Amino acid sequence: MAFIEIKNLLKRFKKVVAVNHIDLDVIEGEMLTLLGPSGCGKTTTLRCIAGLETPEEGDIVIDGKSMLSEGFIHPSQRGLGMVFQNYAVWPHMKVFNNVAYGLKLQKISRKIVQERTQEVLELVGLEGLGERYPSQLSGGQQQRVALARALVRNPKVLLLDEPLSNLDAKLRENMRFEIKSLVKRMGITAVYVTHDQAEAMVISDRIAVMNSGDIVQIGTAREIYKQPANKFVADFIGTMNFMSGEIVQSPRDVDAVCVRTEFSEKVLCTTDSVTEATPGKKVYVSIRPEDVEVFTEPPQARENLFKGVIVHKAYLGNFLYFFINVNGTMIQAQVPHSLPQDEGQEVHLFLDPQKCMVLF
Amino acid sequence: MSRGNIILAAFLWLIVAFFILYPLSILLQESFTITGTDSWGISNYLEFFKDTYYLRVLGNTLLLSMFVLLTTTVFGVPLAYILARYRHRGKTIFTALILLPIVLPAFAGVFAFIIFFGKYGTLNLLLMNTGLIETPINFIYGLHGLVFVQSLHMLPFIVLGLSAGFTNIDPSFEEAAEVEGASGFWRFITITLPLCTPSYLAGAVLVFLWPFTDWLTPMILGQTNLLPSVAYINIAYHFTDMHRKYMGIVAVVIAAVFCISLFLVARWWVEKKKYTGLSKGTTSEGRVIEPGPLLKMGAYAYLLFIAFIVLLIPIVLGLSAFSRRWVFEPFPTYWTLENFRLILLESPILIKNSFLYSGLALVFGVAFGLPAAYIIARSRVPGKDALDFVITLMLAFPGIAVGVGYMLAFWDKIPLARYWIIMPLALFARRLPWTFLLRRPRKYRARADSELFLPYRCLCCSRACSSA
Repeated sequence: MAFIEIKNLLKRFKKVVAVNHIDLDVIEGEMLTLLGPSGCGKTTTLRCIAGLETPEEGDIVIDGKSMLSEGFIHPSQRGLGMVFQNYAVWPHMKVFNNVAYGLKLQKISRKIVQERTQEVLELVGLEGLGERYPSQLSGGQQQRVALARALVRNPKVLLLDEPLSNLDAKLRENMRFEIKSLVKRMGITAVYVTHDQAEAMVISDRIAVMNSGDIVQIGTAREIYKQPANKFVADFIGTMNFMSGEIVQSPRDVDAVCVRTEFSEKVLCTTDSVTEATPGKKVYVSIRPEDVEVFTEPPQARENLFKGVIVHKAYLGNFLYFFINVNGTMIQAQVPHSLPQDEGQEVHLFLDPQKCMVLF
Repeated sequence: MSRGNIILAAFLWLIVAFFILYPLSILLQESFTITGTDSWGISNYLEFFKDTYYLRVLGNTLLLSMFVLLTTTVFGVPLAYILARYRHRGKTIFTALILLPIVLPAFAGVFAFIIFFGKYGTLNLLLMNTGLIETPINFIYGLHGLVFVQSLHMLPFIVLGLSAGFTNIDPSFEEAAEVEGASGFWRFITITLPLCTPSYLAGAVLVFLWPFTDWLTPMILGQTNLLPSVAYINIAYHFTDMHRKYMGIVAVVIAAVFCISLFLVARWWVEKKKYTGLSKGTTSEGRVIEPGPLLKMGAYAYLLFIAFIVLLIPIVLGLSAFSRRWVFEPFPTYWTLENFRLILLESPILIKNSFLYSGLALVFGVAFGLPAAYIIARSRVPGKDALDFVITLMLAFPGIAVGVGYMLAFWDKIPLARYWIIMPLALFARRLPWTFLLRRPRKYRARADSELFLPYRCLCCSRACSSA
């Protein structure tokens, strides 16, 4: 069941459309990530959910209650938890008071406030630091304060706006898993905003990829990686070889899309990714580097076999990485086994038609 | 570290030593002089602190400072908030109007308010004409009037500092409070205002120090039992009793020591709380709110009310400039250009001198300020921080201390004070930190201590005009 429903949401800043009529359902207990480059509208969408922005059109329903259609509900009345990109930990308050702030506003006894705050501080690994000021904490610890503050009132929804972007790389990678397990343990529905695709893939149940105010694709990390909806998604998630070309009439006996590219008259691609394969249409033949097969001797396959010259070769531990020039087109390949050829020497490439996608 | 820089720094130190340190040391020395002898001692200070009169004067001054600070705060906080946060028309005009008292000399306000609020001033006469009151109300003479006049004069300092604070604090601090369930007023009290304390304090120190500097306004309003006025009277009437002169100097020194200590404490505190250094607002505009219709009406009414009081000064002064014998009438009855003829044709020297003195002071100020700014911001000359400190300290120094120090130091041995050049020199020394604040380049903007300077920066231009 959808716990958060976003319907036809439109948000403009002066004349710039930040969020362009999007629809989005977040399922109860799910961790959904809004992923996209800066300026794509992901943070604005999150802020609309929190009530920090007032959308021009559309509605947001949280747990069956409309936030907009029956009068704007102020952020203070929405009962959500939110972690800000810069943490927004109040510098003039001790850690304990930062975390307990929201609880103190509720009519509950001081003893319960005390207990609950301690509990959450322990949960995020800040026990014993309650009496410190934020300036006496590291960035990672401040981040935990922000998280504790967002969780202290047991919110049904947790919003996270690029919470890890200010941490150093090592800490960031650990915190991903930590946040995920914490949120899952508490059973909170979470909306996470990031521009880091690896972070999104680690942390989310589902990812909504956004671009210029639109949601381009929603799906699990696997779906988005394996079946990108278009060139933008394929490019944004992972690395992809794009070879521009034009669809040509396929031979009758072949169950594939046939594309004429700059380096070859005929590249066969899987039909899964194509809805309308009208001849003459400009497309991109797309294949992930790890799906490109490289051989010393020509393999047995009949189709999609090309010769190329190694331009760059790099040893990266568990695989070799190549830039291969195929008739003037550069193709990246990631090969799990060793290969005797060096830079400047010729190799054979096989682009498996089942793994070649046609994207627009 | 080049040789040129060292020579330049040495030259600047020489100026500071001659025009600031030397006169102030003479001032200090004189305060320890025992009347009629050549010996020194702390007897003057002992007398000051034993005499209930002087203690009462000190108490009065503190009380006045507190009242002025309280008044400017109560009126300034909503004003700063409206100006910084509400989206409304005429923002620039209102801001300019509210800053007007900075540009006007302090005594301009007193004269205008005496004409308007005086015993037989416009307001009392209007009220009596309508029959609302029988006898005039004392609006202005007394402590309450003094608090009113000084508060209005100092209001821009509070407003400038605070509205910069309201604009500069990171919006997400407040948003986090709202998401946590705090709304409106509570958020303002627990988050916004505490985060703005450094900015507030910057202005508040200056406000608090003003009653320790302003000797003229209290005297015009018949309140002489205040430290600077007592100092002035004592020194001015020293020919009746030389001892009074030393007691006046002691009063000046005590006021100066008090001001400087308070200033240093405030500076230390502001630097300790580096709120703005943590993160900057996402937009240059800061957080702007569209208020509800009722709130908007209230805000406009409030702005208009303050603007009206501020505008009274130029309006009343303007009316009296074009009129003659404006007494016992709510409005002028006899219009004339005679006043202008008098000042322009018969004594043009007054205007000429004003321009000459402040113009020269400005030239001196820039000539000193630019190299000083360069040395302090860009060079690594040893002792540049001390130079910075001494110059900045002049912000807290009461004007009366500079004046008295100059009279003492430049009379006998170095007889500068017998010539007119002492006027622009004293002005220059008094406003030293202001021209010097030209330095603040962009890289200082995010620094916490820069908050302390924001109000002063606006002053550096305007003061030059007002002294004219």
